[in-house]
Amino acid sequence: MEPILEIESLRKYYGKLPNQTKALDGITLQVIPGEFLGIMGSSGSGKSTLLNCIATVIRPTGGSITIGGKQIQTLKGTELADYRGKTIGYLFQNFELLDNLTGRENIMLPLSLHGIPEKESTRRLEQLSSYLEIIEILDKFPSQMSGGQKQRVAAARALILNPGLILADEPTGALDSKNAKALMEKLSGLNRDTGATILMVTHDSNAASYCKRILFIRDGVIFHEIRRNIPDESRQTFYERILKVMAQLGGGSANVF
Amino acid sequence: MFSKLIFRNSRRNRKENGLLFGSLLISIVAFYMILSLSRQDVMFFLAEMESDAINKLLTMVPVLYGMTLFLLFFLIFFASRFHLERRGHEFGVYLMMGMRRIRLFVLLLAEDFFNSILSLLIGLPAAILLSELTSLFTARMVGIGIIGHQASFSPQAVLWTMAGFLAIRFAAFLLLSGRISRQEIGSLLVQTPEGSKKQMPRSVYLFSLFSGALLLLTAYGMAISGVAWHGPGRMALTVIAGLTGTLLFFYGLRILIGFLAKTGGTDNRLHVFNFRQIQENVIHRSGALAVCSLLTLAALCCFGSGLAIARFYGESEPHVLDYTFQNPENETDIAPVLKTLHDSGLDGLFSSLFEMKVGHIRTAESISDAFSPEPLLSALREMPPSVDRDILLNNLSYETSPYLISLSSYNRLLAAAGLPGLVLDTDEAAVYMDLDFTTPERLRLINEILGTRPQTMLAGKPCYLTGSVLTTGLVTDRSITLSFALIVPDERFESETLGKYSVFLNATLAESATEGGSLLSAISDTNQKLKKTGLSFESYLQNMGRQLFYMVAASYITIYLAIIFLVMANTIIGVQFLMNQQKSGRRYRTLIHLGAAYKTLCRSARQQITWYFGLPVTVAALSSLFGVQALLTGILSARAKNNLSEMIFISAAMIFVLCVVEYIYIAAVKRSSDHYLLTLMVPEREE
Repeated sequence: MEPILEIESLRKYYGKLPNQTKALDGITLQVIPGEFLGIMGSSGSGKSTLLNCIATVIRPTGGSITIGGKQIQTLKGTELADYRGKTIGYLFQNFELLDNLTGRENIMLPLSLHGIPEKESTRRLEQLSSYLEIIEILDKFPSQMSGGQKQRVAAARALILNPGLILADEPTGALDSKNAKALMEKLSGLNRDTGATILMVTHDSNAASYCKRILFIRDGVIFHEIRRNIPDESRQTFYERILKVMAQLGGGSANVF
Repeated sequence: MFSKLIFRNSRRNRKENGLLFGSLLISIVAFYMILSLSRQDVMFFLAEMESDAINKLLTMVPVLYGMTLFLLFFLIFFASRFHLERRGHEFGVYLMMGMRRIRLFVLLLAEDFFNSILSLLIGLPAAILLSELTSLFTARMVGIGIIGHQASFSPQAVLWTMAGFLAIRFAAFLLLSGRISRQEIGSLLVQTPEGSKKQMPRSVYLFSLFSGALLLLTAYGMAISGVAWHGPGRMALTVIAGLTGTLLFFYGLRILIGFLAKTGGTDNRLHVFNFRQIQENVIHRSGALAVCSLLTLAALCCFGSGLAIARFYGESEPHVLDYTFQNPENETDIAPVLKTLHDSGLDGLFSSLFEMKVGHIRTAESISDAFSPEPLLSALREMPPSVDRDILLNNLSYETSPYLISLSSYNRLLAAAGLPGLVLDTDEAAVYMDLDFTTPERLRLINEILGTRPQTMLAGKPCYLTGSVLTTGLVTDRSITLSFALIVPDERFESETLGKYSVFLNATLAESATEGGSLLSAISDTNQKLKKTGLSFESYLQNMGRQLFYMVAASYITIYLAIIFLVMANTIIGVQFLMNQQKSGRRYRTLIHLGAAYKTLCRSARQQITWYFGLPVTVAALSSLFGVQALLTGILSARAKNNLSEMIFISAAMIFVLCVVEYIYIAAVKRSSDHYLLTLMVPEREE
């Protein structure tokens, strides 16, 4: 199957020699459609930089990122804006809902940004809000929602334009364990039932256990990779494997099983 | 290190709060201009002729200065408060690093002082230059440029400008720094959002919107109908209705904007976001917006009515004569005046010297039946009723003993004015009316009657009124002004006045006297020469001086106030918008993440700016159409009211000019907003 995302020798350096920080130092990876990929690593390992490079929030120093056959570094103006809105959907750690807009208005915001008539997406809005259980709060403002509700509204916003790739940056970072579990079940359900491709950066091993594959990054390079054997391996077993890798992350490759 | 921090911070403050910095420069210029008013050429010139009026005008200057200081204090206070609130996090960091509060106070004081000094260093030279240019320009415009230009620089005005400006900045700073010093470090470090305001039921806002509109309409109605001017109580009621109406209207406006957010404009990108942003600003700042709207209204009213009044008083009668001489010892004998002029060799200065003979009817048995205006009155009664007709009916009924003017002397006057002379039969008379006492409409009515050549009785003998009403002034200024007089052939004039009449000697300056300079400077020079002869005379300068005074007084003060009000209103709106935009920077970043292009964001922000400025300015412009009319209704004299429609047109034109000023301010804020959004487009490292 053709990969939806191809990253080749991606580098991102901050500062100049001799005080240069190599946030990403030659990352190469591929994501195939329908995959649920997790990126894990300690703080400062470069995982968020990788996500931000894909989201075009920051410009890489070298290497290439190709999505749907297009190198995203070459995108400019309207093409870039369309890429951000339509090709990828972004799920923030802090939800980043606009607090002066209602839930419905927040979800419809990408349509307004890209000049798409609301009528065309009304059905999708109904499907998503029913699936994410947010129908009752659609006309409420973010200040009237719980953290879990906010993140589900944010998820609906990221999905409303049916993007090819969903980027999630620590989506459970600001949620309690109950809400985190609920959200991950919804995301994993979306991946399983609709074939949505998700790339998620997380610290949380529990959240990561919902993924099909996990890449571990350390010091700007891919350090390790694990895959869940579906359907043989249970989520609990996969979770334990993740914990083991995380425990070894500080000790170098010699300690990884 | 500390001084470097002060220098850098103050530079950043100027950049971030450029709108306020620019407005402060304008206010420094305005301060200096009003304080150095007495040093303007035109004021020196007027002081010679209208010294009492000028002194009265100049005593108003300290009042204006004090009022402006008071208003600008609030401007500085509010604009600086928004800015300091935004810097809260930075202050928190300073304090966390161990900076003592007193040192933070010194840092902020030094930043403030540094920027104030810089404003003065830029503003004062600009003000001095502008004041000098204004002095030269107005002097040249009214033709007194040659009389002698004096530098308008006033050290006293410089000192008062500096003292006032620094005092209000310091006072605002003390109040604001006091607020900051009382805050916990924690609350400084955490950017506290605006906080959601308590929501009232929709009906409250609806009620507020409609009752506000109703109160505004009531105030407009009272002002235009003139009810407001019937007494202080009614005036207070109108003002209160207007103020409360505006405040309530802006308070309830959120419901209208909320409605706009929900409906329509689905094809418009970010329509909902724009209106939610505007709604939020209106909710949080409805009071400030209402105040800005009222300030803009005040500015528009000042500008519109000031210019209309200046134009009305500045409207001069056609200039024909330069001098009128009189013999105060014997009004009927002008020969001694001619002799003095001849003896002192001054008669050569004049191209024409002629007598103007004016006298009472002395042949009638009693004054009450010297002239019968009845034929005129009966013709008027047959005309369709109108205010002008009624006024004429009333005025003419008293004209039973009008002055007579000799035909030959009036024909000399007409010749000097370049107009054709009158030809009258022995039993005919022409009607003269001074322009001060009539209006175009009344002239039209009389002319219509004169067209029928009505027969009246003059001292018991028939007299046919003919031609059309003549209005060319008998003398150069105000030696004699007649509301109604009859021009009769010389023989009849001599016989009816029994040879007892007043004689005025009119003169126009010879072309040689005005060569190489303006007419006014020639008159001014001739005045000096004539004063030495001890003759009693009046010159065109007096006529001109009076008009000039009204023009200068009305236009200087009203334009000054209009500028101050406008600067205040626009700065408050602009600074508020830009600060709010920076506070909601996170929202714009989210939009960028969601795929908003720079152009889309700019268009969205620009739309918000247009609405944010547009709301108070539209309400003000609408109110000012009524406000200016009300001011004119209340202030102008009965005669001026006849030109009301023309004046309202002028006011409307001036309001248009002010809308252009608004446009410039809006454009400046839009540029700042675009610039800010561009900085957001640069990727930010978020680790």
